[in-house]
Amino acid sequence: MGERLDTIMLVGNPNVGKSTLFNALTGGSAKVGNFPGITVDLKEGFTRTPHGRRIRIIDLPGCFSLDGGSPDQQIARRALDGEVLALGKPDLALCVLDASSLERHLPLAMEVLERGIPAIVVLNLVDRAQKSGIRLDPAKLSEELGVPVVATRADKGLGILELRQAIRHPLPHSSDCSWAAQGGASGGRQKFAMEICRTTARRPEAHSLTMSDRIDSVLLHPVFGWIAFLGIMLFVFWSIFSFSSVPMGWVESAQGWLAATVEAAMPAGDLRDLLVGGIIEGVGAVVIFLPQILMLFFMIGLFESSGYMARAAFLMDGFMARAGLSGKAFLPLLSSYACAIPGVMATRTIDSAKERLITIFVAPWMSCSARLPVYLLLVPMLLGGVEGAWTQSVVFFAIYALGTISAFVVARVLRGRLGPDEIDQPFALELPPYQFPQWGYIFRHLIERGGSFLKKAGTLILGLMILLWAARTYPKSDSNDPAEQMRHSLVGRVSQAIEPIVSPLGFDGRTGTAILTSFAAREVFVGSMAQLFEVDDTGDETLLRTSLREVMARQTWPDGRLLFTPLSVVSLLIFYIYALQCLPTSAVVLRESGSWKWAAGQLVFMSLFAALMSLIVYRVGLWLGF
Amino acid sequence: MTRNSIGTDYLQTLAQADVGCNFRIQALNGPGCDKLRSMGFCEEMEIRKLADGRNLICSLCGARLALSSRLADQVLVSPVEA
Repeated sequence: MGERLDTIMLVGNPNVGKSTLFNALTGGSAKVGNFPGITVDLKEGFTRTPHGRRIRIIDLPGCFSLDGGSPDQQIARRALDGEVLALGKPDLALCVLDASSLERHLPLAMEVLERGIPAIVVLNLVDRAQKSGIRLDPAKLSEELGVPVVATRADKGLGILELRQAIRHPLPHSSDCSWAAQGGASGGRQKFAMEICRTTARRPEAHSLTMSDRIDSVLLHPVFGWIAFLGIMLFVFWSIFSFSSVPMGWVESAQGWLAATVEAAMPAGDLRDLLVGGIIEGVGAVVIFLPQILMLFFMIGLFESSGYMARAAFLMDGFMARAGLSGKAFLPLLSSYACAIPGVMATRTIDSAKERLITIFVAPWMSCSARLPVYLLLVPMLLGGVEGAWTQSVVFFAIYALGTISAFVVARVLRGRLGPDEIDQPFALELPPYQFPQWGYIFRHLIERGGSFLKKAGTLILGLMILLWAARTYPKSDSNDPAEQMRHSLVGRVSQAIEPIVSPLGFDGRTGTAILTSFAAREVFVGSMAQLFEVDDTGDETLLRTSLREVMARQTWPDGRLLFTPLSVVSLLIFYIYALQCLPTSAVVLRESGSWKWAAGQLVFMSLFAALMSLIVYRVGLWLGF
Repeated sequence: MTRNSIGTDYLQTLAQADVGCNFRIQALNGPGCDKLRSMGFCEEMEIRKLADGRNLICSLCGARLALSSRLADQVLVSPVEA
């Protein structure tokens, strides 16, 4: 029999530094932000007591109380009550409090103590309390609550040693909860918290304006705030495309070197063609976008970490109300620009169940980073084939705006159909103080996201590329003409079969086949197009994209008309803005909504809507003479 | 509600209160009462209103909170003597 593993749970209000403390204790890399609701699921890590005993640490989602019905509150309550079977009842709770706002945070700790769970109260962010002139008395607080109290500054590792000492065996006893005799309801707890804070966390009398207040007077100003917000958003989109060009060059060079090395080392044949034309070219066409995807995640991490995300939610609340949503839907939707999966998961912080379902439904219409490769291939075709022009940023902005506006319109319609909430959920949000971003955590998160993207490129995308190469190579024809071989291959036959379905949208069978392959993951489209249009791999990714565009621009229909006109390119872009081509997203929607109908309905609706909009744009464009 | 000893002339909702002034919370009254309490609002607490609008901003125990005016209408406050 192995030694029984003690379980310690971190519980506290949102944005008090639980995840930072979790990372400090476990050496883990839980995502850390300066925005309520960064942790929306249980996170598990391990550490050792000073005596070497291994213990399990669980980071619970932040919540204001254990009585509420929002999903994150339910998760925290069930975990503390031992209803999560894999965890069992906690042996110890670490109640993490913001020392600068004890009056507000103590009632939750008292609620935990009333459950009879042995606990330690962690006064985190003591530096913030000191800056506010608060005089803390942890010893007196410990006496009043009947449990040990440890002061920490988790981001700097201060107090962690003392905390480790406190969690050694024998673990502390549970509190006798002397306040419970005065009435355990939230009002009674709050009054007791106020009383003990008068002696244990004395505040200066005069209210003083903080640096955050001064910054907010500009960033939340009814006019200047919006100018700043729009400027910041434009800067984000511009920086994604401009700052990423250098690392993209490195990826290009590496890919070119690899292709040249393989070509030099192997004799011509199917195997070399598979490695160079199928794998290196196909997977490389996707990996090249890693720097841009990381830049998007970096920017969102910067917003969360600095405290601006909450301000953006505050500003956007009025605007989003027109779509039947609240400012709390802003974080999930903004995160969905990077990837819909964390965006859908972040909807757990939304109080209203109906608003949450609607946000989940429209989140995939925020153009995610997987669509970037498609846009980067197609948009320059509308701009004379030039990449990196300022007009490209404008078109990109328009594409993102179209997806966003469409999402808001659909949200408005859905809100009308689902009706109002049974319990009114007015907007309320804590605005955390501005702080310098925690670079270490942001970069750790980037490494995690980059690793996940590369894993996908090395598995799903690699597999699809090999299958696609095989389908375009076999069965072999007797002819040496590449066009004849393509017609004879499996891909050629599939293309011919689906061409009547996709041609009303302005696409030929090969483009239709590339769209089909991208239903598993949309970033596959570029690699598929490169294979299907037989673009020679020059070893340089920019040249490959340029070559692909040149090849596409020369393609014609059998009657001699150009295949890729500006109108058909726009039609293709429209399809990619609206189509939900991401199976992992559908799986997460199923899990989060708990409804097959919702997940399947979303997939079918978005696919049909994409095809319909593409058809309308193409047909109306033709009718207008484009 | 603990309004027994408070002159009703001095009571106003947080939504009606002037920006830049300090107030004492006298009562929480309405369907959002539980939500307000869970966020740390409580009778006798001192609060300062920092900004007005559809969502107002207030300072409570050192924290800055954004509240919809509908919620702020459920917070009854009285001015704090300077």
